[in-house]
Amino acid sequence: MLDDDLTRFARAIVCGEAPPTQFDAWYGEYPVATAIEVYRNNYRGNLHDALAGAYPVIQQLVGEEFFRYLARNFVEQHPSRSANLHHYGAELADFLSGFAPVQELAYLPDVAALEWACHVAYFLADEPMFDLGRLMQIAPERYSELRLRTHPACQVLRSNYPVSAIWHAHQPGADSDFRIELEGGHRLALVSRPGDAVQVSELSPADADWLLRIQAGVSLGETTAVTLEQFPEFDLQAALLKLVAQQVLIDFSLEPLP
Amino acid sequence: MSQPASQTLPCTAGIGLRAPHYREVLETLPQLGWVEVHNENFFGGGAPLHTLLRVREHYPVSLHGVGMGLASTTPLDEAHLSELSKLCDVVQPAAVSEHLCWNSAGGWVVNDLLPFPYTREALAHVARRVEQVQERLGRQLLVENLSSYLSFSHSEMTEGEFLAELVRRTGCGILFDVENLYVNVRNLGVDAEAFIRDLPPDAVKEYHLAGYSVRDGCLVDTHDHPVYPEVWELYEYVLRQLGPRPTLIEWDSSIPALPVLMGEAAKAQQRLEACRAGR
Repeated sequence: MLDDDLTRFARAIVCGEAPPTQFDAWYGEYPVATAIEVYRNNYRGNLHDALAGAYPVIQQLVGEEFFRYLARNFVEQHPSRSANLHHYGAELADFLSGFAPVQELAYLPDVAALEWACHVAYFLADEPMFDLGRLMQIAPERYSELRLRTHPACQVLRSNYPVSAIWHAHQPGADSDFRIELEGGHRLALVSRPGDAVQVSELSPADADWLLRIQAGVSLGETTAVTLEQFPEFDLQAALLKLVAQQVLIDFSLEPLP
Repeated sequence: MSQPASQTLPCTAGIGLRAPHYREVLETLPQLGWVEVHNENFFGGGAPLHTLLRVREHYPVSLHGVGMGLASTTPLDEAHLSELSKLCDVVQPAAVSEHLCWNSAGGWVVNDLLPFPYTREALAHVARRVEQVQERLGRQLLVENLSSYLSFSHSEMTEGEFLAELVRRTGCGILFDVENLYVNVRNLGVDAEAFIRDLPPDAVKEYHLAGYSVRDGCLVDTHDHPVYPEVWELYEYVLRQLGPRPTLIEWDSSIPALPVLMGEAAKAQQRLEACRAGR
């Protein structure tokens, strides 16, 4: 009974179906259809605001007005699945890949993927710093067996476009006078969460190759050997120092990680 | 570990604290009785939670939820409840509240505060869920009356009667949003005096005040205006009937400068003091 009432109400809001007869028909100054329209507007408005909150760079790139149009189309195809609005909008990068009006802006989906990784990273719980003291207790000859754990916020994104530079140019306080060379081939962006700040940086192909294998749970020795074969210039010590400082590497174990 | 300022809401005026004012509040520490924040903005952790914990060192904090869906017909979201429980553990809030509404049914999620028919079936359903939340959190939940743009023809009681019975069955408290009542009076023809009479006075722990907008004749609870004179008048009536309670100014859209919010809070504070002085 209650479930039927609410489900019909939900369908009227989300799908625009005719208001069910369970409602009083008239309210002082307006009919029930007006009330449903208010709820439909609220629903779309709240999801638009959630998207705008998660994708401020996309909004700047396409302009607020076009973003509203884009969000309206996205909302029609992607009903909300979570009561927490911060979960809404994970599929925007995929959506943009197939959204005809933005096909000229080929870098847009990758910028969206980067923004979503940042959005998720922002709300993750804190993780401990890498414990160097505990590492000292391990015999150096066993270092090659170590598995390193990465921060759950950490993500490596590949793109044919300089998405990290695009992202940085659209942060609050960034210099508005910038030039970004879109050509120039394959780039790698790293999202990390040192402390409670979300950080976006560029990653060298060698560091990315190494980090992706570490993330997959391969041991330190094997990962480093494979990376060095392909990238003789890879500097393990520099990579370790940088990635520990960025809180990308947060823990280690001699056993395979779960 | 930081020391919380206080674990009870003082009977003064507070403001809804939103992201645009975090920094200014922490830097200037304005004189504020207490603040209220939306739970979901602090689920997880990271920068939002760190900021809230710093605020917590200076002000009592009330945690106000917009996503629990007490009347939803899908099961209570375990992940949501667990996040709220964790948040309560670290924040040690002075109050925890949710709305008398639903947001999920039949596989659909509507991120809004939606009304439902006030039936005996709904009462049993909501009471079970309120008990579940209170058991999980180990504390009393305040349940807030809703602003509505429509009503169900088969409701068997008023919202006031529903809330009173919910209190009797679960021991929950009431967050009385005076502006929501005003919206319902204008939209649905709700009898304000009867609504107030129906509420068990001891269960009312907090008041809310805000501004609305009008769309095609319908008052919409947008929280984007100052409190209107008619709502101040209703608030004064409520104070005379039920007495002073911690009172919050809510502003969630087109958020003004902090001094504007503080000015609204000062108006509420004056009325609280006048009420206490018996004027």
